[in-house]
Amino acid sequence: MTTAIRNNEGFLQNAADWTEEVARIIAEEDQIELGEKHWEIISFLRFFYKTHEMSPPSNRLFVKAVKEALGEDKGNSIYLMQLFPGTPAKTACRIAGLPRPTNCL
Amino acid sequence: MHTLHIVSKSPEHPRFRECLAMVDTNDAVLLTGNGVVALADTSIEVPSPLYGLKDDIQARALTPDSAQCQVIGFDDMVALTIQAQRVISW
Amino acid sequence: MQTLIIIDRPPYGSWSGRESLDMAFSLAAFDQPVSLLFVGEGVLWLNKGQDATGIAQKSVERNLKAAAMFGIESLMADQSACQRFSLTGQTLIDGVETVENLRATLRRYDHVVFPG
Repeated sequence: MTTAIRNNEGFLQNAADWTEEVARIIAEEDQIELGEKHWEIISFLRFFYKTHEMSPPSNRLFVKAVKEALGEDKGNSIYLMQLFPGTPAKTACRIAGLPRPTNCL
Repeated sequence: MHTLHIVSKSPEHPRFRECLAMVDTNDAVLLTGNGVVALADTSIEVPSPLYGLKDDIQARALTPDSAQCQVIGFDDMVALTIQAQRVISW
Repeated sequence: MQTLIIIDRPPYGSWSGRESLDMAFSLAAFDQPVSLLFVGEGVLWLNKGQDATGIAQKSVERNLKAAAMFGIESLMADQSACQRFSLTGQTLIDGVETVENLRATLRRYDHVVFPG
């Protein structure tokens, strides 16, 4: 499944194309090797999207949502930045097969 | 000034009416965007004190009666919002 | 500074309501105290059981369920509008506080915005 169509920022065009294998391929482009800690955030994000039909709209709200769900140890910028470099919300949503957070530059 | 009501809707928009109903003594009204249409509509009794944003008035070639409405620029608008205890943007 | 964002338009027909929600989320993201008040036809945002897949939109009901998590202080609805649209305890989404006196409610906030 390396043929999933992506937009110009690397987000999946069709959410149904997402598989764990697709996630690994997208992550590799950012030099991220997905480990247990990544998968925890990815499954949280996918659950979040199922519940609220949206990606966390900004990086700050991504951090806030993780904090609410998984506690302060994981819901902080440094932890998430280490797992998903760049803009964590954007990087993590891209890997998790979610739409681009609306308010991330 | 207690509340500054900033109205960007024209008089036929329901929110314009709702705003007028809410204006109290010690409040002021600032017309922006389509709100300045009220200055051309002779059927409307406008509240006082009343301000209108210059650029929006000029764009529509309106000539408000200076006794009725004080025409102001963006700097004055900022000053008004600071002066007011509360602001409602309609 | 306490901000109140008022939604007075029904959901789905235009983007203005989504922009209001976006404004509320953005304020909450920066820990600015913000609440949402639904009045007039806007109370239909709070109707339980919305399914917007058929019109290719996302459910605002589900979007609103993220409000508390994101730090929006309260969701309020005008009681008379709820009556007008037959929204009762059973049909209103959870966590909504109904208010009787709009004028008094507005007075509690430093900044009141009707976006869109």
